[in-house]
Amino acid sequence: MPPQTMSAKTDATIGVNGTAKSTSNQAPPPMALPANLKSDLLNKLSLKSFKLKTKQQELLLRVSILFLVYVLAFITRLFSVLRYESMIHEFDPYFNYRTTLFLTEKGFYEFWNWFDYESWYPLGRIVGGTLYPGLMVTAALIYWGLRFLRFAVHIREVCVLTAPFFASNTTLVAYFFGKEIWDSSAGLVAAALIAICPGYISRSVAGSYDNEGVAIFALLLTFYLFVKAVNTGSLTWSLASAFGYFYMVSAWGGYVFIINLIPLYVLVLLITGRYSVRLYIAYNCMYVLGMLLAMQIRFVGFQHVQSGEHMAAMGVFFLMQVFYFLDWVKYLLSDKRLFETFLRITVTTTVGLAAVALGVGTASGYISPWTGRFYSLLDPTYAKDHIPIIASVSEHQPTAWSSFMFDFHILLFLFPAGLYFCFKRLTDATIFIVMYGLTSMYFAGVMVRLILVATPAVCLISAIAVSATVKNLAQLLRTKSKVTQGGSSKAASGSKASSKALLDQSQPFQRNGAIALLLGVFYLLSKYATHCTWVTSEAYSSPSIVLAARGAHGNKVIFDDYREAYFWLQQNTPTDAKVMSWWDYGYQITAMANRTVIVDNNTWNNTHIATVGRAMSSYEDEAYEIMRELDVGYVLVVFGGVTGYSSDDINKFLWMVRIGGGVFPVIKEPDYLVNGEYRVDKGAAPKMLNCLMYKLCYYRFGELMTEYGKPPGFDRARGVEIGNKDIKLEHLEEAFTTSNWIVRIYKVKPPNNRW
Amino acid sequence: MAPKSSDSQQSLLQSEPTNGSIDPAFHLIRILPYSFLRAPRLRLKLPSLSLPSPMTVFSLVLLTYFMVVSGIVYDVIVEPPGIGSTQDPVTGTVRPIVFMSGRVNGQYIIEGLSSGFMFVLGGVGIILLDLALDKNRAKSVKVSYASAGVSSIVLAYVMSMLFIRIKIPAYLR
Repeated sequence: MPPQTMSAKTDATIGVNGTAKSTSNQAPPPMALPANLKSDLLNKLSLKSFKLKTKQQELLLRVSILFLVYVLAFITRLFSVLRYESMIHEFDPYFNYRTTLFLTEKGFYEFWNWFDYESWYPLGRIVGGTLYPGLMVTAALIYWGLRFLRFAVHIREVCVLTAPFFASNTTLVAYFFGKEIWDSSAGLVAAALIAICPGYISRSVAGSYDNEGVAIFALLLTFYLFVKAVNTGSLTWSLASAFGYFYMVSAWGGYVFIINLIPLYVLVLLITGRYSVRLYIAYNCMYVLGMLLAMQIRFVGFQHVQSGEHMAAMGVFFLMQVFYFLDWVKYLLSDKRLFETFLRITVTTTVGLAAVALGVGTASGYISPWTGRFYSLLDPTYAKDHIPIIASVSEHQPTAWSSFMFDFHILLFLFPAGLYFCFKRLTDATIFIVMYGLTSMYFAGVMVRLILVATPAVCLISAIAVSATVKNLAQLLRTKSKVTQGGSSKAASGSKASSKALLDQSQPFQRNGAIALLLGVFYLLSKYATHCTWVTSEAYSSPSIVLAARGAHGNKVIFDDYREAYFWLQQNTPTDAKVMSWWDYGYQITAMANRTVIVDNNTWNNTHIATVGRAMSSYEDEAYEIMRELDVGYVLVVFGGVTGYSSDDINKFLWMVRIGGGVFPVIKEPDYLVNGEYRVDKGAAPKMLNCLMYKLCYYRFGELMTEYGKPPGFDRARGVEIGNKDIKLEHLEEAFTTSNWIVRIYKVKPPNNRW
Repeated sequence: MAPKSSDSQQSLLQSEPTNGSIDPAFHLIRILPYSFLRAPRLRLKLPSLSLPSPMTVFSLVLLTYFMVVSGIVYDVIVEPPGIGSTQDPVTGTVRPIVFMSGRVNGQYIIEGLSSGFMFVLGGVGIILLDLALDKNRAKSVKVSYASAGVSSIVLAYVMSMLFIRIKIPAYLR
């Protein structure tokens, strides 16, 4: 449409500017000079606004929406920084922070070859070969970049804000991915949805310096580049997806999801008859180059050719070669029946050879079977019976409906609708997003932690549903209009409805209905935004190392006991002292207290953890022997009886028993239970009342009044009065108890002198 | 790989010597038992596998989605009771509790299934809305689809909000 009529039309509707323009050409008004200047300014603005063509207006709208979404994704993750301070949260991020600190201080080669003797006391840990370096290298590069520009930032600030920064980048990738799958308006909705989705925020809030913050960005980037490669068949995009895969392998152990989903997708395309040369180029380049690059990470090593979890990718790779070969033979042969016979022979031989190769590989042990972590995803009951360490982690529990609702809200309704739209318009790209959505939703159902991996797929598919529905409704509003309006496809068409001439009797009803439905869509999306902000603020912004509670008068009470205890350890113990605690606190102790620990969150050695578990659940004499063997100087326990904190060591005690009992049959779980029930009061089992953990947690607790109207020694976390109040320690002495009794540190006394 | 009926198989047997099959297994079988045995007349037909239509697959997918979102994996592993119960301390009667309270990641079987049903109902409502806007249907059908769709969405949203408010009393406060 020519700009001239456009400008005339816009001029008529912008009433203020029009009248301002008309008055400026006549005699100046009795007002002073500033009014004239003001009208000139308005002139300039209005002239500017209608010199833009429709395409430019659309581009401006899209860029501004993306910019706002980018900023929104960053600032919604800053609740805990504003409420408490800029600190690292939880447990795992402390290890990541410590390694990043080491990297920035000592350089890349020291980091790559680092042997850490401060954890897993007598054994040590080969850090360079047992971590995923992507996160640390990324943060270090950002830090060095900012330092180069002479911004004097501390590495801790960079670490705290890495995750929100990459979350913002993920929204951009989601926009491009949505554009690739459906169209650009679906991309915009996807970017907006993923910016505030609680499923993603839970692991990428500021301070949560963990692998997933960067890995989800790498995951979505790899998928986007691969789908783009399949759509275009270009070598550049395939190689780019291989590099994206390399970044993902360096960032997170969840790369196994990519290396299994992409072959599964290729297989589905082959079955549905969508084989093409584009697919051949994309998959081959990505697999070969990606595999070679992945072998550069020491932790991954040769797993791509040796581990059972990666065999699917290799199998599909060879299958693709067979397909290409058959295609070529079909082109050469002119006889159809001859080709069919040839096809039958080839397929039978190939399948036979593959089965023989797989069998020989597995039987000889060259191809290792699926590891417990990933096997428990396929068979969820496996971990409960066989591997208690995996089953004990709270994030690995299966998902209930309320966790889904909490993390997704409206997207749970939009997901099946989006799947319907994808099935209506099946292309290579929509088949991919459907497969990604379905597999990730299944895994999210098996393990709560994996809701994170499902979030991008759910957001993209829901965006398709929203975009398609809004387009349909907006179509209704525009059906009989003579003058086509430019502008975006969003719900702005309601305002234009009033200026239309009505041609049909059913038109007003349809139009009003469409307006009402659009308002309904807007209402639902605004409720989604409210829900997401509430969940982020209340549930996902707690640093876990600082606890908060409501006092008696509704004021906020902060418990900073953990950091108090670690600081005490750092200041008051010899530098080579070894600290024994349950593995949850290992990373924090090494990072903040800078002392050697016996076991930490890496949990790579089950026997060592079982030794500690055995020590915690034995009587004091046996435990003392184990502690002398391990050279332990201090023991640290976490106790929530005074504050009512429920994630303390007494509540985790049964896991210590189970893990210890898994390796040392001396420890039997029924010894600690009464009629199958776990109790700490007078009716508790005698072994429970005298084990080391009980004594260390409840030492001197029997004299304490914790609540009005209750006897002394009332455990507020369990809600009972403890059974054994008169506790005497023979081989340990109390070194430090924090102000709210949450962390208690005991010193191991040297053995008695011989008489 | 088209299925072969018995007639074409026989004709193939007769015409093969003239064409020269490249299948080694076929030649082996031709020599070993069937040089002195007569090949049987079979009326076997290999079942022809055809891909199901997209909408069939979609309905299967919807069923799977319903099961996953209802927390079926949680039900299988943790084995919660179908419905919880509490005993009234004064009268001693046993009252049922539908929603497991106290934590976000816990459920009874029935509460999971009913919530999952509400989610699927909401999804189906949006699908009905899209079907209602299809041009090639009668007007009355379109209107009924549209009204069914809108009422499904409204019902599903209201019920889901109600469920989550019962389960987590501190929701949105």
